[in-house]
Amino acid sequence: MNITTINNQRIKQLGLLFAAALVIIILRLFYLQIIQHGVYTDIARAEQQKQLTLPASRGELYALDNGEPVKIAMNETVYTVFADPETVDRDELGEIISSLNEIAGAETVDEVRDKLTKENSRYQVVARDITRTQAQLLKDKKYAGIGFIEGSRRTYPEGRLAAQTLGFVNAEGKGQYGIEQYFNERLNGVDGELRTVTDVRNVPLTIGSDNLRREPVDGENLVLTIDRNVQSYAEEALQKGLERAGASDGSVVVMNPNNGDILAMANYPTYNPNEYFKVQDAAQFTNSVVSVPYEPASVIKSFIFAAAIDQGKITPSSTFYNSDSVKIDDATIRNAYTGITGTRTMQEAYDWSLNTGSVYAAQQLGGGQLNRPARDIMYQYYHDRFKMGQLTGIEVAGEAAGSIISPEEEQGNAVRYSNMTFGQGMDVTMLQVASGYSSIINGGTYQRPHIVKGVIDADGDYSGRAAEGVGERVVSNDTSRAMREMSAVGRGNLMGGTNGDKTGYTIGGKTGTSQVVENNRYIFSETIGTYLGFGGATKPEYVIMVRVAAPGKKMEGGAHASPIFTEISNWMIDYLRLHPKQGDQ
Amino acid sequence: MAYQRTPTYSATRRASQNWNRNQNTAQFKSSVKLGPVAHTVIVALMITVLGLIYLTQATKATSYDYQASELDAKIAELDARKSEMEVQNARLTALETVKASNVAKAMTQPSDVSYTE
Repeated sequence: MNITTINNQRIKQLGLLFAAALVIIILRLFYLQIIQHGVYTDIARAEQQKQLTLPASRGELYALDNGEPVKIAMNETVYTVFADPETVDRDELGEIISSLNEIAGAETVDEVRDKLTKENSRYQVVARDITRTQAQLLKDKKYAGIGFIEGSRRTYPEGRLAAQTLGFVNAEGKGQYGIEQYFNERLNGVDGELRTVTDVRNVPLTIGSDNLRREPVDGENLVLTIDRNVQSYAEEALQKGLERAGASDGSVVVMNPNNGDILAMANYPTYNPNEYFKVQDAAQFTNSVVSVPYEPASVIKSFIFAAAIDQGKITPSSTFYNSDSVKIDDATIRNAYTGITGTRTMQEAYDWSLNTGSVYAAQQLGGGQLNRPARDIMYQYYHDRFKMGQLTGIEVAGEAAGSIISPEEEQGNAVRYSNMTFGQGMDVTMLQVASGYSSIINGGTYQRPHIVKGVIDADGDYSGRAAEGVGERVVSNDTSRAMREMSAVGRGNLMGGTNGDKTGYTIGGKTGTSQVVENNRYIFSETIGTYLGFGGATKPEYVIMVRVAAPGKKMEGGAHASPIFTEISNWMIDYLRLHPKQGDQ
Repeated sequence: MAYQRTPTYSATRRASQNWNRNQNTAQFKSSVKLGPVAHTVIVALMITVLGLIYLTQATKATSYDYQASELDAKIAELDARKSEMEVQNARLTALETVKASNVAKAMTQPSDVSYTE
C-alpha cells in the first residue's frame, strides 16, 4: 500500500465524518426549525411583543342649566407618587418631604419620612391622587428614587349635588348606585388593545407581521333631565325645611308632568360622591325617591277620587254623610281630623282629608260596597293605569317595585282596599306616586318617568333622545280638569288659606301623614309627612312631592312637608318664567 | 449620372464583418483583467451594499415609530392638560362655588316682579 492510497482513505474517512456531522446538524435544525417552530415562535413573540391595553375613557354625565348641558361627572387624570427607598438620596430627604408637603399638600400620606426611609422595600406610596400640575412640579425637581403612576379618577365638580341620583365610581372603576351603576357598561366603553414589538422603553415598533392595534371605544356621554338649578334649590329647600321641622330624613322629587322629565331628586342626609369612602352609613347612598317604598297616606286620595270621577260615580260636589267613622267588615275606619261631621261634599272630604270620604268614593265603584268589582276597578287604576306597585323603568340603580296587593289574593280584601283609599296597606315609591299624579293632572296621560335626556357625541354635539310619543291615557281630560280644580281648592283651603303661594297661578296639592309600621303594627308616636302637588299658570308645569321623617317624631304633611313644597313651587314659577294668568297679575 | 456599386463591396465580405452600414464600429478593450478572486470580492461588496441599503430602509420605519411615539406622548400630555382645565373650569363654575362667591352673596331678592306680556 503506498502513501497516496493511505491519504485517499483518510480523506474519505474525514469526508464521511463531516458528512455525518452535517447530517446531524441538518436533522437538529430540522427538529428545531420545522418541528419545534411553533414553540420557539411563541417564546420569541413573548420576549419581543408587548400586549398593552388602550383604556377607554368613561363617559361623562351632564345636567341641564336652562336647557344647556353642563358637566356634573367628569374624568380627571391623577398621579400616584411612589418612592424607592433604596435609591432615594438621604441628603435630599428633607427637601423631598418639604416639596411633597408644599406641592401635594393634603394628598401626601402620613409619616412620609418613614415611608421614604423604609428598609427592605422598593415601593412606597408617598402621595395619592395629585393633579397633573402638581405631578409636573414634582417631576421638575428630578429627585432620585421618586416615580409617578398615571391614573384616572371620577370627579364630581358640583360636589353633593344630586349625589344619590348620580352614585359614584369606586376604586376599581365600577359604578356604584344611581346612574353610575345603572349605566356602568355604557359609560365604561370598551378598552382597546395594542399588540406590538417594543423596545426596552416600551416604545411600539412596526416590526413584525402580526402587530395589532384596536382603538378603544369611549363610553357614552349622557345628558340627564336633571336641571342643576332646580336640583340645587330643591336640596337647599329640603335641608332648611327639615331643620325647621326638626326632622332628620327627607326627600323631594320635582318632575315635568307633561313629558316625564325628572328635574330633581333630592335626599337628606346626603354625601359628597368625591369622598364616598368617608360615608359611615350606607343608607346615605340610597335614593329614597326610587328605592324606598312607603305608605304615602292621604296623598293617595287624589288617586281614588280620580278613579271614581273617571268612572262617573262621583263629582266633586257629590255628597255623603260623614260620621267620622265607617265600618268595613270587622274593621272600623276613622278620620284623622274629626268633627267635620254631617253631609259633606267630596271636595270637603278632599279638603279635610276625610278617610270616610275616600272610602265612600271607593264604595261607589261597587255600587255602594267595597266589593270585588270595586276592588278590581281600584286595582286597575292604582296598578295598571297609574302604575303604582311596579317598576317605572327609571334609569337609576336600585329601583324598588313596591307592592299593591291584588284583589285576587287573600290579603286583597275590603279592609285593605278601604285602607288603600287613604294610602295605607300599600307600598309605593315617591317616584311612582309623583308619576301617577302627573298623569291625573296633565290631561290624563301617563308619561313614563325618565332621567336621560340625550347623548353628547365625541365631537361635542348634543342629540336628544327619541320622544316616546303620546303617553297612555289613564283618565279622561274632564277627570283631569276636575282633579286639578279639586287639588287647587284643597290647597287653597290648606291651613286656612295661608299657604304662601304666589298669586295668579294654579297651584294644587294634597297632604299626607302616615303612621309608621313597627312589628307589623301601626304606631302613633311616629308619622311621616308628605305633600304632593303641582303648579303652573294655564297648565301644570311641574309636580313636586316632598317627604319628611324623623325617628320617634310626628311629622305632618301640612305643617312640615307643605312649606317645603311652597318654597320650591314659588321658586319654580320664577325660574320657569311663568307669567300669571290674565287678570291675576 | 448612373449610380455604380463600389468594386470592393461584396456580399461575402459584409456577412463576415457582422456590422451594418452607419453602425458604430469602435471597439474598446480594457487593459485591466479581473480574475476570479476579484469577481468574488466585487460580488461580496455588492451584497454588502445591498444589505446595508435594506437595513437603512428597515430602520427608517423604526425611526418613524419613535417620532410617532413622541407625538403620541405630546397628544396625551395636551389631552391631560385640556382635561385638567375642563375640571378646573367645572369646579369654578359649579353652583356651590358660585353661591359662595362675593358677587352672589351681595345679591338681594327682587322686591317686585313685573311681566311685560
